[in-house]
Amino acid sequence: MALAAEVVAGVIGRIGCGQAAAARMGGGADERGVDGPQLRVVDGEFYPDWEAVYRDNVDRVYRLMFAKVGNRPDAEDLTAEVFLAALRPLRVSASVGEVRAYLSATARTVLAGHWRRTLGREITVLTDDEGLESMPSETAAASDATARAALILAGLPENYQRILQLRFVESCSVREAAAALGISVAYAKVLQHRALRRAAQLEVDR
Amino acid sequence: MSARGARRFVADLLRGRRPRSFRADDADVGQLRAAITLRAAEPDSGTPSEEFVTDLHRRLAAQLSPEQTEEPLPAPRPVVDSTRRRLVAASSIAVAAAAAGAVVDHTVISRGPAQSGAGGAPTLIPSTGQWRTVSASADLAEGGVQGFDLGTVVGFVARTGGVLRAVSGVCTHLGCRLALDAAARRLDCPCHRTSFAVSGELLRYQLPVPPAALPQFEVREMHGEVQVYAPPGPV
Repeated sequence: MALAAEVVAGVIGRIGCGQAAAARMGGGADERGVDGPQLRVVDGEFYPDWEAVYRDNVDRVYRLMFAKVGNRPDAEDLTAEVFLAALRPLRVSASVGEVRAYLSATARTVLAGHWRRTLGREITVLTDDEGLESMPSETAAASDATARAALILAGLPENYQRILQLRFVESCSVREAAAALGISVAYAKVLQHRALRRAAQLEVDR
Repeated sequence: MSARGARRFVADLLRGRRPRSFRADDADVGQLRAAITLRAAEPDSGTPSEEFVTDLHRRLAAQLSPEQTEEPLPAPRPVVDSTRRRLVAASSIAVAAAAAGAVVDHTVISRGPAQSGAGGAPTLIPSTGQWRTVSASADLAEGGVQGFDLGTVVGFVARTGGVLRAVSGVCTHLGCRLALDAAARRLDCPCHRTSFAVSGELLRYQLPVPPAALPQFEVREMHGEVQVYAPPGPV
């Protein structure tokens, strides 16, 4: 109980500069407006209310989902689905670890449902190891994503690597990528398609 | 032709749009997975936008606020139809997640023992307890309320319509000790303006989630004394 009370005090303390009133009314001001590290609740502690559950986990759930769907609109929808499904039955008497395990399990189900609805196949899955509990910090998560992409690129010939790097990681248009590689737009398209097919093949071989 | 579907999926992904649905086949899976993995390495892909976080907070607040829960269904908001379908789908997902082995045993879903007192609140029955005197019968007239502190537990005992009832004196929100407003026959939390009836039911609160009713004690009257079943005093 003492821990929970400290958390509440911490949350209130973090909301500053005219945001407290809006937050109290459920108006949506949250810590994201404040620079600096976010308030985190460490494992073994308890969340004071659903808003703390949300604040502490929304970034994590979103990052988890983005890594599995690769686009913002789907990542947002699936994040919303996780919280809408999980928060109602959730009682915050559970510990932080238990809440995160429950959110992770919900996220797994939500992602599986997404692929079933849209493509009829599970393109990506959240494994038991990829949960909110074990999630690294924001910077570590970003470098994780980079490392996974690098692993794919590493197995490809150089021109395949470059077209995928330009198009997917650096968000270049086909035109820009073609110019950077000194090839025609039509050939850039073909190259990209072949590179992706090869990357898929490598994954199967692996 | 799923080759076309996969191509369009990748094109949407690269434009940052929501990829369109199609029936994927085995050959597509690896390509789409590789495309997603590469796309996830895009530098500013990791963090959700502030608008999204704020808007979802608002939607959750509307879902979880007490005014809404009293209605049979949340009023549909005038947005795209798919949102409503999603909400309907979402409620069954929680159940599926639970079945999938999530930690949703008693620690998450409910708290307290199975025994229920009045108003659905749990009755506090200590593993090791004894009947302990909290008041002389004569001091607790009809309509009276008295606080007690037994060292291990604190509470209030009230005689209402000839019936004795004892409840915990600790707020179920964050554990602040409740104060008796004898005139109003009400127990007030000094911390967050939550009030309970002397029977333990929640009367008012200003928290996002309503706190549970107060746990009840077993109570009896013996040899001119009012007693509750409570843990022995601290040694």
